[in-house]
Amino acid sequence: MYPRDAFKTRAVTRRTMLATGASALALSLSAPSMALAQTPKRGGTLRISNGGDPPDFDLHQSATYLTQFVGAPCYSTLLRIDPSDYNKLVPDLAEKYDVSADGKTVTFKLRSGVLFHNGMTLTAEDVVYSLDRIRKPPAGLVSPRKGLLGNITNVKAVGDLTVVITLAQAQLDFPFLVSNPYNVILCKKVAEPLDAQGQGMKRQIVGTGPFKLTQAVDGQIYEMERFDKYFGKAAYLDKLQFFPIKGEIERSAALQGKRIDACFFFPNESVLSTLRKVPDITELRRPTPTFINLIPNVKMKPFDDPRVREAISLAIDRDAFIKTVGPLAGAAFHSKGLMLPGSPYSLSDTEVKQFGGYDTLPGMGGNVAANRQKAMTLLEQAGVPKGFKVVMIARGDVPAFRDSSINIAAQLKTIGLDASVDIRDAGAFYAAENKGDFQLIAHSVALSGSLPDQILGEGYTSFGGRNYGQWKDDSIDDRFRAQSAEPDPDKRKKLIHDFQIAFLKTYFQINLAWVGYGAAHSKSVKGWNAMPDLYANMQMDTVWLDS
Amino acid sequence: MLAYIAQRLMTGFVTLFAVAAIVFLVMRVIPGDAAVMMTGAGAGVVSDEELAQVRKKLGLDRAIPIQFADWAGDVARLDLGTSLRTGNPVINDVARRFPYTLQIVIMAMVLAVGIGVPIGVIAARFMGTGLDRAIQAFSIAGLAAPSFWVGLLLILGLVKYFNWSAPLFWEPFWISPLKSMSQLIWPAVAVGLRQLALIARMTRSIMLEVLGEDYIRTARAKGLSEWTVVFHHGLRNGLLPVVTLVGFEFAALFGGLIITETVFSVPGLGQYVVTSILARDYPAAQGIVLILASIVVLGNLAIDLLYGWLDPRTRLQGA
Repeated sequence: MYPRDAFKTRAVTRRTMLATGASALALSLSAPSMALAQTPKRGGTLRISNGGDPPDFDLHQSATYLTQFVGAPCYSTLLRIDPSDYNKLVPDLAEKYDVSADGKTVTFKLRSGVLFHNGMTLTAEDVVYSLDRIRKPPAGLVSPRKGLLGNITNVKAVGDLTVVITLAQAQLDFPFLVSNPYNVILCKKVAEPLDAQGQGMKRQIVGTGPFKLTQAVDGQIYEMERFDKYFGKAAYLDKLQFFPIKGEIERSAALQGKRIDACFFFPNESVLSTLRKVPDITELRRPTPTFINLIPNVKMKPFDDPRVREAISLAIDRDAFIKTVGPLAGAAFHSKGLMLPGSPYSLSDTEVKQFGGYDTLPGMGGNVAANRQKAMTLLEQAGVPKGFKVVMIARGDVPAFRDSSINIAAQLKTIGLDASVDIRDAGAFYAAENKGDFQLIAHSVALSGSLPDQILGEGYTSFGGRNYGQWKDDSIDDRFRAQSAEPDPDKRKKLIHDFQIAFLKTYFQINLAWVGYGAAHSKSVKGWNAMPDLYANMQMDTVWLDS
Repeated sequence: MLAYIAQRLMTGFVTLFAVAAIVFLVMRVIPGDAAVMMTGAGAGVVSDEELAQVRKKLGLDRAIPIQFADWAGDVARLDLGTSLRTGNPVINDVARRFPYTLQIVIMAMVLAVGIGVPIGVIAARFMGTGLDRAIQAFSIAGLAAPSFWVGLLLILGLVKYFNWSAPLFWEPFWISPLKSMSQLIWPAVAVGLRQLALIARMTRSIMLEVLGEDYIRTARAKGLSEWTVVFHHGLRNGLLPVVTLVGFEFAALFGGLIITETVFSVPGLGQYVVTSILARDYPAAQGIVLILASIVVLGNLAIDLLYGWLDPRTRLQGA
């Protein structure tokens, strides 16, 4: 089933996975393949700004790009996404890996002589500790991505440079999952005692990455310098500086005023469009694995009734939603089905149209009035009284939550629901959400990647960690596991197709749009390739300044 | 006088204790505790067990009166605790940030008093003229414009017309006073505009009243210059309510800086307090509110003492 030698000299790619099922093969991986038009220059300081201070530095415990952006240049993963090709993995700490014939045992061979920033040498024990820390966090620590590595049954070190991972079942996407940019390798001797105190790596960074943290001043600066003993090709830049400028307009002004060289996180299209007119600046918006879904709480009546959930989906004019909320929240993209926009796993138009309200996606020509009429009929059949009160709690500090909720509440009024929005700060919102104390929420969900196991596993299973609506359906979870283990790409594609059809029928989550992240940088910043994934390619070792 | 000061300090102490108790309680009853924020609940559903472990680690599983007694005991020893977010002692975070906030407040008040009082006097002296109407229009606009909006306009205007944007490194005053003042002038303008308008209006209205008094007519009859009549006899007697206003506004500015500091990315107390509250960083939020309350209490005491100096009638003989 898993021919061991078929791809020995090829890099593993998302495309080859889809085409040949080759991810779980024995591989010898190629080096990063940056195709550069100019000769990179060494030196200089890259000044970057994003949306604020990282709450802490513990990537395993974190789910915010603020932590990941500052941590990524300082850490390494087993494999990494090729800086020039999002679909390809290249070596990082592991110089190669091997998958057993049954696909259940993955063996990573580590590079020798890799040094942590504190001078200690990387060993297989560090990898074992790090992966175990993610999948089974010590008491007092949390691990938002433990589900990603939930298929691991055992991780063990064989000698100093070999790590053997045993899986419960074969998993095609595993190399990408284990190399997720958040799944960095920590120094066991540093992390273990801190973990035992329940503190974790929140206050320090000791990694093996191309840059070393030298200064962290809350509210002011996070500075790192090139790590001269980095195991890979030395970074071009002397220093990286991150500045926590909170407002979009303020970041944009800092870029225009040449105080900074690059900045990220521009949900608002009007800010990007201003930067578009500045000659020395390059701006972009890329789709990222973040969707905005409407999530009914199925434990709360009447949302336990699938007719009510379908009625809600029917009420939504998705085209209008994207046109209205898109420019405010970066929700400019849409997909056909559950996968990323433009995914090879997308459903056909005919298939999408069979689900209530999805025919109003841009270009599909759906009849909004007819949909809403049908929605009212469904509500009546379900015994929902006219004027039924629906309060949508919304997080006030993020447009993708706040503006989506306001738009949806207005649209729900068209089917006779008395919908309103209760805007709260992040703490109050998450407290209610975590307790299941809500009726219906519009939720922006940033996933850890774009592969089927990441999108479907994290976003659409009952155990994936994003089951805010508290649904339970074993058949959905079984379908997920079946596609995850299927080595034949055609069969897997069919299983993913069937999963999407089955899930969409439940209306456990109602997809509204996909988010694109905004970024902008001075034209003197070279060698940074914007990926269709906010978290990818942030190690900055290939970036240089042409000034 | 000493007894009066002692009495006021005692009242202030009781006020601060009440503020501390209220803030402590409010931070704990608002939904979403420190454990929820620290576990990054936004990344997914966190189990009750995981939350319980974190709460236990933070000591949040204990009864609220016990938590309060612990905290109050630490505060009595001038230990405000350790920030859950930054990991630093709160007092250190405050010490690093306070100078920036204080400097903006002082600069804003100097601008507000330095411009507001003279233009208020001028408006009163030339009541009903075009100059008066222009000053009144300016002061109404200043009152109506929120400081964050003024700040954003300043940022956008300065970058568009002068290619200037807010600095990334803010120079402490004691290292380079001129550079520091030139960096903080725009936040001071943004936040001080409202105070300037308020002081100008108050000064105008008081001066209109004072300039109609008999002793002003007498001064003019004695042949004193208009300058002496208005500024020496008129303004000095009309200044008392303005001083009261300045005192209140000085204290209020510390709270008003929350948004302005965020807009200009100044690493001051305002930014710290809002981030701490949103992150449910209990020690930091409680500590900073206590410090701000202390400033208000001491500020009011200072104003009361200033009254006595400005107006001998208000001096407390033997009090």
